[in-house]
Amino acid sequence: MHIVRSFFVLFCILSSIQALNAQSCSYRIEGVVTDLHDGDPIFGAVVSIQGTDLFGQTDEEGYFLIKDICEGSILILVTHVECDTISRRVVVQSNTELKFELEHHINELQEIVLLENGITQVNASVQESRLNADQLTLLSNQSLAETLSSLPGVSSLKTGNAIAKPMIHGLYGSRVAIIANGMRLQDQEWGADHAPNIDLNGFESVQVVKGAAALKYGGDASGGMIVLSPQRIRLKDSLYGTSVLNGVDNGKGGSLSSRLTKSFDNGYYISGQIGAKQFGDRKAPDYFLTNTGLKETNFGLTLGRSKILKGWQLNYSRFQNETGILRSAHIGNIQDLLRAIEAEVPIRIDPFGYAIEAPKQQALHQGIQTSYFNHLTAQSLIRLDYNYQINSRKEFDVRRGNRSDRPAIDLTLQTHDFLGSIQWKKGFEWEFEAGMNAFLQDNYSNPETGVKRLVPDYLKYQLGSFITGNFQLTNVFRWEWGLRFDQVHMDVQKFYDTADWIDRRYRLLYSDYEQRDFGTQLLVNPKLNFSNFSAQTGISIGLEDNFKTTFSYILTQRAPNVSELFSDGLHHSLATIEYGNLSLKKETSHKILFGIQKEGNQFTFGFNPYLNAVENFIYILPTGVEQTTRGAFPVWSYEATRVFMWGWDAYATIQFVKRLDYTLNTAYTYAQDVSKDVPLIMVPPFNLYQQLKYSFSGDKMEIQLVHRMTASQNRFPNTNFEVNRIESGSIIQREIDISTPPKGYHTLDFYFSLPLKNQSSLNSTLRFIVQNLTNTTYNDYLNRLRYYASEMGRTFQLQLVLKY
Amino acid sequence: MKTHFYTYQILSIFLFAGFLACTKEDPVLVEEQELITTVALTFSREGAPSETIRWTSDLDQSPLIGLKSNTQYTVSVSFLDESDPGAVENITNEVKKEADEHQIFYEFSGVAIEFEQAPSDVLDSYQNPLYVNTLWSTSNSGSGVVRVYLIHEPIQKTGSARSDFGGETDIAVDFTLQIEN
Repeated sequence: MHIVRSFFVLFCILSSIQALNAQSCSYRIEGVVTDLHDGDPIFGAVVSIQGTDLFGQTDEEGYFLIKDICEGSILILVTHVECDTISRRVVVQSNTELKFELEHHINELQEIVLLENGITQVNASVQESRLNADQLTLLSNQSLAETLSSLPGVSSLKTGNAIAKPMIHGLYGSRVAIIANGMRLQDQEWGADHAPNIDLNGFESVQVVKGAAALKYGGDASGGMIVLSPQRIRLKDSLYGTSVLNGVDNGKGGSLSSRLTKSFDNGYYISGQIGAKQFGDRKAPDYFLTNTGLKETNFGLTLGRSKILKGWQLNYSRFQNETGILRSAHIGNIQDLLRAIEAEVPIRIDPFGYAIEAPKQQALHQGIQTSYFNHLTAQSLIRLDYNYQINSRKEFDVRRGNRSDRPAIDLTLQTHDFLGSIQWKKGFEWEFEAGMNAFLQDNYSNPETGVKRLVPDYLKYQLGSFITGNFQLTNVFRWEWGLRFDQVHMDVQKFYDTADWIDRRYRLLYSDYEQRDFGTQLLVNPKLNFSNFSAQTGISIGLEDNFKTTFSYILTQRAPNVSELFSDGLHHSLATIEYGNLSLKKETSHKILFGIQKEGNQFTFGFNPYLNAVENFIYILPTGVEQTTRGAFPVWSYEATRVFMWGWDAYATIQFVKRLDYTLNTAYTYAQDVSKDVPLIMVPPFNLYQQLKYSFSGDKMEIQLVHRMTASQNRFPNTNFEVNRIESGSIIQREIDISTPPKGYHTLDFYFSLPLKNQSSLNSTLRFIVQNLTNTTYNDYLNRLRYYASEMGRTFQLQLVLKY
Repeated sequence: MKTHFYTYQILSIFLFAGFLACTKEDPVLVEEQELITTVALTFSREGAPSETIRWTSDLDQSPLIGLKSNTQYTVSVSFLDESDPGAVENITNEVKKEADEHQIFYEFSGVAIEFEQAPSDVLDSYQNPLYVNTLWSTSNSGSGVVRVYLIHEPIQKTGSARSDFGGETDIAVDFTLQIEN
């Protein structure tokens, strides 16, 4: 380790120890300086404090210690043989631990990147929640949304058991951006019953930011952003990987995923990932959930070269799945819906099977991504990303005349996305990033389905530019801001029923769009333009005793999505006819987030209240009844209203005694439709997540008990409707109660981790997991199929994790 | 490394521009395949010409059926797709062919009518009547409603009320009944 080094790199504030007395010159700063490549300690680096004669020198362990530091702001200098000096301003108000990771390539530029455990915080002035690799592995059997639902303020909007999409602060779909590998995931995110096409096993960490805090990735995600990051590549000759094997009794299935990376010390690397998952029918406590099987395969390959200062990457990923939808949830009309709600158990329960019949969904998502970055100078970095995603989705309904094998929905969505940015620094205080995001999306709706298109063919162009900056005076004060402007253009070709087109007054308003008359059908070509402006500003202030407060304001504007504008069709599981609304305007949200948090060894806590006022909030609500040959159907249409939301997330971890940790996450959301003065629909009720974890000494055996409590949602709009039914020779009016949320519930999960015999080359852990330990029967308000069946019953799972 | 940088930049821009240039073809009109626009009931009794009453999806109210009291009628139902007047499709044939996956059923309100399978009815592979051809026996005069159901994939094929069959409702339309002496 005595070779010449230069200094790049990672600087990380781990945690600090509370100040014991207020004497002003009695503080200590200690820490380690390690090599970024292999984590080896760096010997002989000098850490000094400017303007004083205080200094420390790293020993063989890379450890340094500086004593008798006075309270206040100091400038720390880190020097090493034949290298330029790095400085970092630190405010000392307690004993502080610092960690530096240095890169030792010769003659490279001096660059220091502030990272925490290798992962940059998305935005320092907005609280973020995070799951690390271990937590992800623990839940590797579940979908993205379910995995995240253990975080405060994150819920999962489900359609049955397998289809789940993440919800942040009560918002979902187009209001939540999923960013994988630095690019936004493009799929049918507009549909409530479309789960994101992504497998978590390819990623090392997940960060959830509860607002559009990273304007780089888009200015329309008023709910928040989910950032998935892959494993950091080690810059040395090595071969390493992870395999996870899961076996699950409920659904008699399991999953296997493996990841292998080969890296070379010249910076080249190749990394591959495969995964497969299969389940048969799941089981509620008392019955099988017929046709809820799942098949999934995924594959990823990454090639690249990373050299700290510059690098490139080429990545291909493929995700394919087939998901069964509860057979009993496919209904014909509202009398069927009433019968389903009245029934104690699903109307159709078949013996267990692996077959996935209609109704079902098939999705295939493929992406190619190339990225390049280069530190042009010591102070600037350029980054280019291009990404092509092709997403095909087929949905199968139960159909007459052997048509069940033919999809009722067949969409191909292609997206080209380019993101280029340049980052630069001015001194140590200012950091900027500016860039451009160009985007083209092409949706094709196959007419061979023989069913009216749910979403039309369209081309969507988007050009965005952004600039963000942050000003960091010291380690305790940070100011961040950002601006983004997007121009969105949509070129849509859609068939309307001529009668509908006239009924909805579109002929009066949009006769320019009319393209061709097919008699009962009319081809129209709306060309829509939206200009969206987004902005964000926030501060983060460190207080005494490891307290930190953050405050942030985020303005987001979102163009209505294609389903809000054009959706047109019958929803089989909800027996509703859904109509888009061509007249919708952009949605504007003002979100204010406040946070206070304390870090510590025995006690950590955070409290994050927020306010969100949305103008032109686009939502769907019942607007009438339509007569069809299947009977009368309630019609739901997209409209805009004013919405006011507030809520809070809170978390705490307490170490009661050594090795016994308690974690509490809890969240509440209030959402009101101000124009109509009624509560907003589908808002997560108050919920609580508690975890008690005991780690045995020595062999690192671990036991965890998790309790989840979800209260009943008492605030909901009344969307009930009447249906008439012939009962014993007379017509009776009955109300269909689709509004009343189910009762609150408690569930318990149990986790047991046993590290197996560990060698230097192989690290393995065996886990035994029980979910819904008490086999409780419950229904969840955020599950759109809650009328038809209960949630899954007790599930035993055996997991083997191999790290090599 | 500079060359690398330009290669990528140019490549990205080229790819992007390439796709911007493409234009979209006009979409093709979807031929809706499972539409049923018309439900027709044909009534015949001895000594009178048969009469057909049609329910179509553009009607605002349920069509009127006039029947005589204490009379037996042979009633046959047909389901049609008349969305394209040039090519009317008779869905009844498909229903008959897939008799195991379908069930036709009637529910009456306000009037007492008994129905049973007609000798000409179609049976499924378990010898259950499909009720495509039925015998209706009227009793007293009065007015009421008959609701015609076409059920897809019923969980059972026998029963005395709609709820006994389960499955999805493909058709549920009302006809007004007027029974006179």
